[in-house]
Amino acid sequence: MAEQEQAYKIRRFLQLEKIGQNSEGQMNIPFIFYCTTCYKCQDNCPQGVKIVDAVLAIREAAVHHGTMLPSHKKVAQMLIASGHAVPVNEEAKKRRLQLGLSELPPTVASSKDQLAEVKLLVHLSGFDKLVAEKNEYNLPMVKSTAFKTCDQVLAEGKA
Amino acid sequence: MSELSLFLGCVAPNRYPGIEAATKKVFSKLGIGLVDLEGASCCPAPGVFKSFDKLTWLTLASRNITLSESKKDDILTVCNGCFSTLKDVNDILKEDVNLKKDVNLKLAEVGREFKGTQDVRHVIEYLYQDVGTDKIRDAITKPLNLKVAVHYGCHLIQPLKESHVEIAENPTFFDELVEATGATSVDYEDKISCCGAGGGARTAILDSTLKMAEKKLQHMTEAGADCVVNACPFCHLQFDAGQAEINQKFGKNYHLPALHYMQLLGLAMGFSPEELGISLNAMDTTKFIEKVKMDTLKSKICITAN
Ligand code: SF4
Repeated sequence: MAEQEQAYKIRRFLQLEKIGQNSEGQMNIPFIFYCTTCYKCQDNCPQGVKIVDAVLAIREAAVHHGTMLPSHKKVAQMLIASGHAVPVNEEAKKRRLQLGLSELPPTVASSKDQLAEVKLLVHLSGFDKLVAEKNEYNLPMVKSTAFKTCDQVLAEGKA
Repeated sequence: MSELSLFLGCVAPNRYPGIEAATKKVFSKLGIGLVDLEGASCCPAPGVFKSFDKLTWLTLASRNITLSESKKDDILTVCNGCFSTLKDVNDILKEDVNLKKDVNLKLAEVGREFKGTQDVRHVIEYLYQDVGTDKIRDAITKPLNLKVAVHYGCHLIQPLKESHVEIAENPTFFDELVEATGATSVDYEDKISCCGAGGGARTAILDSTLKMAEKKLQHMTEAGADCVVNACPFCHLQFDAGQAEINQKFGKNYHLPALHYMQLLGLAMGFSPEELGISLNAMDTTKFIEKVKMDTLKSKICITAN
């Protein structure tokens, strides 16, 4: 990702974290959500540092502080509503029938009881609250920068 | 007879059902029992959910695993993301008794318990390690005359590396499976690189992830590939729907059909491109389908002539 996004500096995030500064704070939002978890950096790290785990831990801390990209929040809400992060749609139903498959996949999509189980577990874990709509209060920065590239954000910061 | 539980995930059944159809056809042809893991949910996807709240991720994934624990055999995934989540969670909970206790407290509320009796398998490593390329070769009726750009995907390799499975080091297992269909696996620059879609990045920052995919498409095209073959519906989506987006957004003209390995193997077993859902891609696959049909026709003529 660093190749595509010049300001995406994984080393910087980790340094900040080490010296006790919140790397999930303003400066690095939304960059921490840009890692594709490809493990290239980790594979090449001569010290065998678990870089991807660190990135994910920083993300988790950010999310627990109410900071997430609206697009990721939508995906999370989709899972809560349907049991699938990518739920079935009309086009998929048509194609499934055309291929000789059941119209709805044999997953939670086909069973109210199973979906109820998923919803209860999501609730017990507090995940529904974590990604609830009202959590989008703080950090107006998330809203304004979420869809910009790192370069754009940096340029604006300099201006 | 073995009976694996097929874990579908989200993208295969809900965006590329051809991959689901192909998997079922291929396994029945191989004579390996495969039943739907009924009532399964999203794995949940490692990119977003693992990094949002680990306990939720562990709980929902372990519920999916418990669905298979009444069955004799392991869980089979056709998706790198599902493989990464389910295998990771299964291994974590088998090791960590405290986490297992936490998760089981939650699962008890829905009358379930994670026992840790199953393994999680990815279709590619399963076919390679448990079935073997010889048996795959034996099942082929229409050897393919295709040049294939193989895309492993990060989350096929990484979970295997973490379990110290030898084939994950300088991997060739996927290429060998592709070549078992008669096709040639072409070498290309940055072959092991990421398609860009993972980690929730595609959702977060589409254009940059498309640039990553474009680089791969360019290298595959330069290598003269007839198609890109993947092991993951999400990489598949990035190379297919993403390719259409690349052409439209960046004014390019890529036309490299994307196939999941199940679809490639299905073709070589004599199933038609239509019943494998290859014609349902976002990118036009007409020319590719024509080529495959022509090749089959030619080889038929050859056989009769001889
Ligand atoms: S895993 Fe490492 S190399 Fe890959 S996108 Fe994330 S930070 Fe970059």
